[in-house]
Amino acid sequence: MSTDQPIIRLDHVSKIYPLPFGDVTALDDVSLDVEPGAFIAVMGPSGSGKSTLLNVIGCLDVPTKGDLFITGRNIGELSDDELTDLRRDTLGFIFQQFNLIPLLTVRENVEYPLVLKTRRRESEGLVEALTRRVGLEEELLPHKPSELSGGQQQRVAIARALVNDPEILLCDEPTGNLDTKTGTLIMELLTEVNGQGKTIIMVTHDPRIAEYAHRTINLVDGKIV
Amino acid sequence: MIFFEFAKRSIRLHWLRSLLAVLGIVIGVMAISSMGILGNSLVLSVGEALSDVGDTVVVYPHAGGFGNGPPVQTDTVITGRQVQQIERAVGVNDVIPLHVSADRIEVGGEMGVVQVYGMDTADIPLLLEVTQGVYLRGASGALVGQMLAETYDLGVGSRITVGDQSLRVAGILTERGVGFDINPDRAVIVSDQWYRSVYGEADYDQVIVKVRNLEEIEEVKHDIDAALNRRETEVDIFDTRMILETILETFSTISTFTTAIGGISLVVAGVSIFNVQMMSVTERTREVGIIRSIGTRRREVMKMFLYEAFLLGFIGSAIGGILSFGGGYLALLVMLQDTTFLFAPSSLVYIPYGMLFGIGTSLISGVYPAWKAANLNPIEALRYE
Repeated sequence: MSTDQPIIRLDHVSKIYPLPFGDVTALDDVSLDVEPGAFIAVMGPSGSGKSTLLNVIGCLDVPTKGDLFITGRNIGELSDDELTDLRRDTLGFIFQQFNLIPLLTVRENVEYPLVLKTRRRESEGLVEALTRRVGLEEELLPHKPSELSGGQQQRVAIARALVNDPEILLCDEPTGNLDTKTGTLIMELLTEVNGQGKTIIMVTHDPRIAEYAHRTINLVDGKIV
Repeated sequence: MIFFEFAKRSIRLHWLRSLLAVLGIVIGVMAISSMGILGNSLVLSVGEALSDVGDTVVVYPHAGGFGNGPPVQTDTVITGRQVQQIERAVGVNDVIPLHVSADRIEVGGEMGVVQVYGMDTADIPLLLEVTQGVYLRGASGALVGQMLAETYDLGVGSRITVGDQSLRVAGILTERGVGFDINPDRAVIVSDQWYRSVYGEADYDQVIVKVRNLEEIEEVKHDIDAALNRRETEVDIFDTRMILETILETFSTISTFTTAIGGISLVVAGVSIFNVQMMSVTERTREVGIIRSIGTRRREVMKMFLYEAFLLGFIGSAIGGILSFGGGYLALLVMLQDTTFLFAPSSLVYIPYGMLFGIGTSLISGVYPAWKAANLNPIEALRYE
């Protein structure tokens, strides 16, 4: 895609949840352009719509109003399978709770999105290379996630998010469950990944973590302020 | 195949729950297969016991009666003239007219009642086989059925008293089983001369026609009917093959019924699989949210849970299939006291049949939980604790 075209574009996007006691507006007419290679922190109080924004950009949820374009494709026009494939190939997710698959080993967790994409289990050294890149020891590959520390689990999650070489990384409080030292290491890793050309949207409530981003967006009551 | 790996590991992780579900399938498959084997063996054993009379047409004097079975006999008889008509009608086939009655028997002070058949001594080898002694040659002497001989401890040369007449046993008959023409196993067979002289009856009670070519049975029946029942119904004509088929059909229905009863246990097993799968989906809701969010399609999630149901069904069916040999053997031993037909192909086929039902039941039971998992909202699933 051309450099002048935003990799993510939200065009008057609203997300309204109909509830029995009345509609709740989680996102209210949000418009946003994200350039390729940007590192954006999304901040705001609880209930401001940060997670909803991330879910909508992550194609896990669809806008009630407005249009969302990811790499130029209007996601409102895509089928469920196409949205799933977009999540698999173009987006990488990093969660506060790490969200590794407990039944799989570290190696299998990392290669899982690749297996979904290529239908093959041979990663030709990619898993080892990614493991090294995120600072994990290769000896941990045969272990189950439950045998790893929080920092190690988050590194596995980052490796998993990078395995299909996605253009965008979506991070939901990536250091929220880590101690300060480990959190700093993870943020340095994300900064490095961003330096290699990945676009990062990161939700956080920690101003120190937000400082790693190039730009911070503040959300209040579903609006960018 | 990573989804198959998921299924395997999930089963291993929840081994006790999986074991109980597998046990349900094992019991279901065993019940279906064993009941199938039992029912089929029943049909086969009945068929074997009755099949040697499949080439016979039996003619009774017409006496009304109901349904398709032999009529209730009264004092009506088949006359010598009618026998001649039958002989003419059936051509080269053997015609065996019989006198039939029941009389008192006394052997060494032991008394009872016995069926007495009187027939031309030349016809006896056409219908019966002697296992000890010889066929009747003259008017005197008698042949006795195997079971009667065992009851009264008779041997060749033994003396029996039928009515008031003393008879010497010339031969013991080979056991024949239940027949639709005559039942000689507990009977005394005498010459027609002796019978007429003792009972004073010249007419016959039934006529048996042994048809040489089985394909001509219908034609033979038709010819007898045309010869004797043209103006009014004088005789009733039965084809033993037809009766045999009706009986086998009845036993087949019983067999299907018993197999269906076995199927009920498989339905119960299916409910167990459904329960296990629903629990699995509930416990793994968050996991489903994770894999959906990182790019797993709905049908792939569905496949993952269906593999799990399939594996449970396959393991249960395989074990159930192997144990069905033992189950079938036990069922035959207890119910029929005869395990001869356990390895008959038509019996063994119930084992793969039961296994297929086991796997099918598991898959069907797993469809809804798998569908439910595939259609979970990824965001809500991720939030599930």
